Amino acid sequence: MSKKRIGMVEKSNNKRQRVNLVPEFSINDHHDVLVEILRRLDGPSLCSAACVCRLWSAVARNDSIWEELCFRQVSPRPSLSIRSVVSALGGYRRLYFLCIRPFLARLPKILWSQDQLQLSLSLYCVHYYERIYVGAAPPSSLMFLRMPVNVV
Amino acid sequence: MAEVALKLEQLETMMGNVQEDGLAHLATDTVHYNPAELYSWLDNMLTELNPPAASGSKVNNSFFTGGGEYDLKAIPGSAICRRSNQFPVDSSNRVVGTTVTTTTASESTRPLILVDSQDNGVRLVHALMACAEAVQSSNLTLAEALVKQIGFLAVSQAGAMRKVATYFAEALARRIYRLSPPQTQIDHSLSDTLQMHFYMHFYETCPYLKFAHFTANQAILEAFEGKKRVHVIDFSMNQGLQWPALMQALALREGGPPSFRLTGIGPPAADNSDHLHEVGCKLAQLAEAIHVEFEYRGFVANSLADLDASMLELRPSETEAVAVNSVFELHKLLGRPGGIEKVFGVVKQIKPVIFTVVEQESNHNGPVFLDRFTESLHYYSTLFDSLEGAPSSQDKVMSEVYLGKQICNLVACEGPDRVERHETLSQWSNRFGSSGFVPAHLGSNAFKQASTLLALFNRGEGYRVEENNGCLMLSWHTRPLITTSAWKLSAVH
Repeated sequence: MSKKRIGMVEKSNNKRQRVNLVPEFSINDHHDVLVEILRRLDGPSLCSAACVCRLWSAVARNDSIWEELCFRQVSPRPSLSIRSVVSALGGYRRLYFLCIRPFLARLPKILWSQDQLQLSLSLYCVHYYERIYVGAAPPSSLMFLRMPVNVV
Repeated sequence: MAEVALKLEQLETMMGNVQEDGLAHLATDTVHYNPAELYSWLDNMLTELNPPAASGSKVNNSFFTGGGEYDLKAIPGSAICRRSNQFPVDSSNRVVGTTVTTTTASESTRPLILVDSQDNGVRLVHALMACAEAVQSSNLTLAEALVKQIGFLAVSQAGAMRKVATYFAEALARRIYRLSPPQTQIDHSLSDTLQMHFYMHFYETCPYLKFAHFTANQAILEAFEGKKRVHVIDFSMNQGLQWPALMQALALREGGPPSFRLTGIGPPAADNSDHLHEVGCKLAQLAEAIHVEFEYRGFVANSLADLDASMLELRPSETEAVAVNSVFELHKLLGRPGGIEKVFGVVKQIKPVIFTVVEQESNHNGPVFLDRFTESLHYYSTLFDSLEGAPSSQDKVMSEVYLGKQICNLVACEGPDRVERHETLSQWSNRFGSSGFVPAHLGSNAFKQASTLLALFNRGEGYRVEENNGCLMLSWHTRPLITTSAWKLSAVH
């Protein structure tokens, strides 16, 4: 909620006049703007942003932000059918944390392209299947992607 | 012989000193092969154990009056002579290297020579080979003695060599004592859940299965381009881990997903549960989530040769494109006369657009036991070496057990029980070629994807993808270990 602030201005004839000041703007009041901003961040910055406060953490769970992150620099732009598949498998945020982030950490110099994204999606799908097959997340699922000391 | 006596005396002192280390059994169980080499053997033993300067130790007669194994007569004479012939160059080199400083045996103090485990490693390999040769010539007494020695030598090694040697030693022992359980495809000694866990750990720890699945899937995906109804017949269903990735790729392909039918074939479960049906249910769950029309049928068969094309409910090829897939299954048919020919016949009746095959790249099916042993020793040493980089030791152990079963079958079993009959790509190419199949080249997409996949593994620097006549091989350093190939029917059929 924006509060109207009323200020007092001193005029030249020593009279004081009431003036409406610009209403205070808080980004926390405009989630859609916040989402638009977060959508443009890179991975580490986005993760930091998600730690700022509970509100930002909740907003940062918006999957479209992570979708943007996953598809950045991928050309050509993947089709919309990917969205339904990815959300069925657990969403983009999970895809990023489980597959794409370790992938990039392991191969930092790689050119992130359609092929890399497809490979990540396949690994994500296998992981989903392993979870429904074994029942709980098997301890070794996608373990090969995790480096022994992962400080990312 | 005075020198020998002195050395024995020193050895006995040392053996006494290392009692608590558990090396005492070396004092009682060692086998002396050749009296002439006894001096050099003792030298080596002493240097390995790095003795403190021994001076004026008591002579312990029990050493000479010890157990029957010191009695050289226990070892048949011809064995000794043959034994000494087996290390023509190497052992003499070793002898020269280590006895240089012991020209005068009357010395009671000896300079310390550090012998690293390399020598023991060479000795271990020689012992393994000698044991295999003894087994081949049915010289079971010698083989038995050697197997014990292998056990002790293996302990002196670290890492991959120790594990490989231990598995091979166990397999040799089973062969000698005829302890091998009937190693058919169904291993009743392990419950299904445990088998599944071994398989899953092997799947996650090292890239072999992933490489196999991803390269085969890429070939199948390309062969299915433009088809509206597709059918995959999988000879190696296991847990169905190959198919989620293919289904995902089909779901996202241009033009939308085809209707996907899967026929899974596998051995019966040890506890008679319908495990193939369960796998099908889970895959169906996945298919529903990603909106792919899915149909499944599971078949239980003790051997692929029991299959008939009529069981598979094939539909006319105009409506449905079929692919046949086999990952590490075809070699099991080679022990059964007519087995592989029957399966090739069934595949030809199926008329697939592609037949993807993944097999181990090594010849473990030669007629001579010793050759098979040598080949498999090299192969599994390389394989175990590649596992060393695995971050979790539990996963490593699980993978090693999984491979250890193969070693056991290869070495200890014979006849129809021996199912691990691996052959090389050139051998398989001949078989396929003479059965009416022509190679279908795996494209550059498969190569690129495989390279990226391997780079993601922890020791990506050791793994290599190589292309060989349109087939893809996964190598550890320079040694190819598994090969993915794709085949289609020649135009005549």
